Amino acid sequence: MTREQWERLKVLFHGVLEQPVEKRQEWLTLHAHGDDVLAREAEALLLAHDTVGDFLESPAVVDPAEFADLDELRSGMRIGSYEIDQEIGRGGMGIVYLARDLQLGRQVALKALSRLHDGNTSLRERMRREARAAATISHPAIATVYALEEIDGRLIIASEYIEGHSLRSEIERGPLEPTRALAVAIDIAGALSAAHDAGVVHRDLKPENVLITTTGAVKVVDFGIAHVENVNTRLTKEGDVIGTPAYMAPEQLIGGAIDGRADLYAVGVILTEMLTGQHPLAPGRRPMPVAASEVAWRCIQNDPADRYPSARDLLAALERAKTSDAGRESFTSTSSPSTRWWWEFHQAAASVVYAVMVWPTWLARNVIGGQQGNAIFIVVLAAAIVAVTLRLHLWFTSRFYPAELEWARARAMAWMLASNTVFLMGLVVAGALVGDARPVLAVIEIAVAVGAGAAFTVVEPATTKAAFGQPRRL
Amino acid sequence: MTPDPISALMPLVYEELRRIAAGYIRHERPGQTLQATALVNEAFVRLASERPRPFVDRQHFLAIAALSMRQILVQRARARKAAKRGGAPQRVTLDEHLMSAAPPDIDVLALDEALTRLTALDPEQARIVELRYFGGLTVEETADVVGVSPATVKRQWAMARAWLKRAVDSAPADGSDGHQ
Repeated sequence: MTREQWERLKVLFHGVLEQPVEKRQEWLTLHAHGDDVLAREAEALLLAHDTVGDFLESPAVVDPAEFADLDELRSGMRIGSYEIDQEIGRGGMGIVYLARDLQLGRQVALKALSRLHDGNTSLRERMRREARAAATISHPAIATVYALEEIDGRLIIASEYIEGHSLRSEIERGPLEPTRALAVAIDIAGALSAAHDAGVVHRDLKPENVLITTTGAVKVVDFGIAHVENVNTRLTKEGDVIGTPAYMAPEQLIGGAIDGRADLYAVGVILTEMLTGQHPLAPGRRPMPVAASEVAWRCIQNDPADRYPSARDLLAALERAKTSDAGRESFTSTSSPSTRWWWEFHQAAASVVYAVMVWPTWLARNVIGGQQGNAIFIVVLAAAIVAVTLRLHLWFTSRFYPAELEWARARAMAWMLASNTVFLMGLVVAGALVGDARPVLAVIEIAVAVGAGAAFTVVEPATTKAAFGQPRRL
Repeated sequence: MTPDPISALMPLVYEELRRIAAGYIRHERPGQTLQATALVNEAFVRLASERPRPFVDRQHFLAIAALSMRQILVQRARARKAAKRGGAPQRVTLDEHLMSAAPPDIDVLALDEALTRLTALDPEQARIVELRYFGGLTVEETADVVGVSPATVKRQWAMARAWLKRAVDSAPADGSDGHQ
C-alpha cells in the first residue's frame, strides 16, 4: 500500500465508523468511488475493528526478572579471543567484564553493548566512532582503548584494565583533604583537555568513572563510550539520590547538543563532592574552601556559555585555586578572610554614601528647578538605586552564599560600571549647575563625586584584588 | 558530535527501568509481573527526583521510555525464541510463569514487525501504539506527547489496533525473525 492509498483508507475508515451499522456497506461502496481494492481493504479493517476485542487494550507486561539479566556473559565463557572472568560493572549501555585476552595474555576490561541496543544503528555507529576517537588519545590519566570488536553482531570494546578503587569509594569514606581533592580534579581536567583536543567528550563523568590505581595515580575511564556504573556501589546505596543524572549538565539531560563543557559541569559536581561529600545543589551543604568552591560554582552553571570555555581554562583555574586555598584555612560558610571583610566593608560603605548623596541632589534640584532639575534628580536617584541594590546584593551574597560570589560579581559588573558612571556624572552636573547660587552644595556634590570616582577606580580594584586574587575585569 | 537525543538518553532511561526491575526482584514477591504503566511512571518519578531541578522533560521521557519498553520486550521474546529453538533451556521456570501471568497472549515479535510496517505507512499511528501499549500511557498522556487532541488519538488508535490485529493474525504462527 502506498502512503496515498493509506491516506484514502484512513478517510474511508474514519468516515464509515460514523455511519449506523446497517448503512456502512452502502456508504463504503459509494465513497470508495469504484476503487474495489480500497473498499475491500476498508471492509477488512472494519471487520477487524469489530472483532478486535481486548487486543492491545491493556498495556504490555514485563517480568522484572526478565530484563535484569538480558545480557549476561558467564564466568569462563569465551567470546572471540577473550575469556570472561567476572562482571565488574553494569549500566544502561551494557555490562563491563574483567576478561583475559588469550592471545596477548593480559587482563582487559570488556565493555559489551547491551543487546537492547542491537537495533539502534545510530547508537552503534556513535559507539564505533567514539571508540576510534578514544583510541587516539594517549594520556597518563586516561585508560587506553585497545580494540573495538564485533563478535556475533555484538559490539565490544576492550580497554586497559585498571586495578585500584574508584573515587566514589574514597568519597564515601569522608571528605578528601582540600589539596588532595584539587590534585585529583587537576588530573581529571588534564585528562579532559587531552580528550577534548582529540574531539572526544566523556559524557558520563562521575566518581565511579575516576579510578585511583594501586600506586595512587588517577585514571579516567569510559571515555565517550559504553557508559556503565558499578552495580555493587549502587546496591549498597539503595535510595540514594546521587545517580548518573546528578552529574549530567542540563543541556545533556534534556537531550540537546553537547560539547566538552558538559564534562566541566561534572567536574564541578565531583569537586564539591570530594570536598563536602555532597552534591553542590544539596540544601545545607557543608562548607568548602573558597577558591575551590568558586571554581566548582562556575562549572555547574546551567548555561554552558557561563562555564569555563574549555578544560584547559578549568585546569588553570584549579591550579590557581590550589595555590590560593593552600595558604589559608578559609571555608565558605565559616569566617571570611580579612581581605574579604574589607571588600565587604567597601560595598557597604559605598552603598551608604550613594544613598546619602540623594539628599544633596534633592536640594540641588530645588535650586536648579524646572524640567532640568527634575531630570538630573531622577537620573541620580535611579543610578543610586541600581548601584546600592547591586552592592548590597554582592555584600549579602559574600556573607551568606560565598560560593556564588564570583558569579554574582561577573553578572553585576556591567550594571555596576554603568550605574556608577551615571551616578557620578549626575553629581558633577548637579554641582556645576548650582555652583553660583549655592557654592557649598556645589562643593559637596563635586567633592563626593571625585572621591567616589577615585574609590571606584583605585580603592575598589585594590580591595577586590586582595579579596579575590585577581583584578576585577573592568 | 551531536547524537540524536533518543539514542543519547536511551541508556539512561533503560538503566532506570532496569534498576526498578532489580528493586522489584529484591523486595517484592518473586515472579510478580509489572505493567508498563507502573514501570514507566516509577522510572519518571525516580529520574526526575534525582535532579535537584526539573530538567527532565516528561513528554520526551515518556517517548523514550515507551521505545525502551518495546525494545526490551522484543529482545526478550527473541531470546526466548532462540532458546526454544535449541539453545540452553535456561529460563523454563520464568517462561512458565510468564505464560500464566501475562493476560492476553500477544506475539510481541509479530506485533513489533507489524508496527514497523505501520511506521512506514503512518508514523503517527505507530507512535500512538508504541506509547499506549509499550509505554502504558493514557489517551491524554499520549495526546500530550504526540501533540494532537485526545479525540485524534482515540480515532487513530482505533484504526491502528484494527490494522495491527489483522496484520498479527495473518502472520505465520512462528514467523520469520522480526526484522528492523
